[in-house]
Amino acid sequence: GPQELALLERSLGLQEGNKYGVQGERKIPVLQTSNGPGLIGLVTIAAYLVKQAKKEQLLGSTAEEKAVVQQWLEYRVTQVDGCSGKEDTRIILKDLNMYLEDKVYLAGNNFTLADVLMYYGLHPIIADLTVQEKEKYLNVSRWFNHIQHYPGVRQHLSNVIFIKNRLYTNAH
Amino acid sequence: MGFGDLKSAAGLQVLNDFLADRSYIEGYVPSQADIAVFEAVATPPPAELCHALRWYNHIKSYEKQKASLPGVKKALGKYGPADVEDTTGATTDSKDDDDIDLFGSDDEEESEEAKKLREERLAQYESKKSKKPAVVAKSSILLDVKPWDDETDMAKLEECVRSIQVDGLVWGSSKLVPVGYGIKKLQIQCVVEDDKVGTDMLEERITAFEDYVQSMDVAAFNKI
Repeated sequence: GPQELALLERSLGLQEGNKYGVQGERKIPVLQTSNGPGLIGLVTIAAYLVKQAKKEQLLGSTAEEKAVVQQWLEYRVTQVDGCSGKEDTRIILKDLNMYLEDKVYLAGNNFTLADVLMYYGLHPIIADLTVQEKEKYLNVSRWFNHIQHYPGVRQHLSNVIFIKNRLYTNAH
Repeated sequence: MGFGDLKSAAGLQVLNDFLADRSYIEGYVPSQADIAVFEAVATPPPAELCHALRWYNHIKSYEKQKASLPGVKKALGKYGPADVEDTTGATTDSKDDDDIDLFGSDDEEESEEAKKLREERLAQYESKKSKKPAVVAKSSILLDVKPWDDETDMAKLEECVRSIQVDGLVWGSSKLVPVGYGIKKLQIQCVVEDDKVGTDMLEERITAFEDYVQSMDVAAFNKI
């Protein structure tokens, strides 16, 4: 919601000053613009902020990269935000772990808005994982640990600890 | 340190294990450390070493910028897991550490993003110099602390035990276990760094609370 958008604004280096509200039962964020009806929805507003900050590369450079970024932004709002319960979480982590096996960032080789919003969306889930689970989803842990160290992203969110000495698995 | 011979299967395996939970050889941004190792690896690792391959393909994408990545290239033996023997025959001369090239001012096209990455990398490099990246041996210990009798204030006893604060010691959960005649013992978990805290020292400190503690035993001891 609005708090996440404030986090995003700061990570983009934008001065605060945008006014946010929420709409409806599901508390969808709304951004009041100076002219027009306002922008509705996390992804819409986030993309707008990226352009405001003149950091369009965060939306992807090539056509394929842009599509992948959109794919993960959509995933964040439909799968992660709609997730309820251990079973949903398990499916998300399993899919993400497989996907990240050969990638450093969600879009492949470049840091994008997809990484930021997935990080914010997954933070409460990852923060609650046991040591064993973090080892099980090794690629997710690697990616998450990387993003939380990216300058400007984590801010006041808690730093999730990932142990370097693997306690449970010897085979990969 | 070092990975052994990176042209051998064994060396690549060490690299692969090292990179399972890391995006880069050092820190969280690509640096000369990655370039040094990349050049030693020379060809893409096989697909079953998936972490090494992921890293290899990622660093390859920085091919054009490799000269401007932060850091200073060191001998291969300086990178990698701390517990692997350095077989590269490099000297342990640490003069390199002081020589941080401040990347000159001739790169006019540097984007803001690269600048931020570089600054972050520099800060990390500084803090790394002062920290020892050793692998720390730890143990999980379960202690039984017995009071004098059933009238001993167990809450105060627990307070005394937990008041023992030592570098390398972290107290965990505890519970009271009845041992008969109305007496309860305190069973408390702790995690210690092996080279900083030993059970002798713990016993000494705990039994020092003579008013409450009759004795202390190690109920369980596990290396973690």
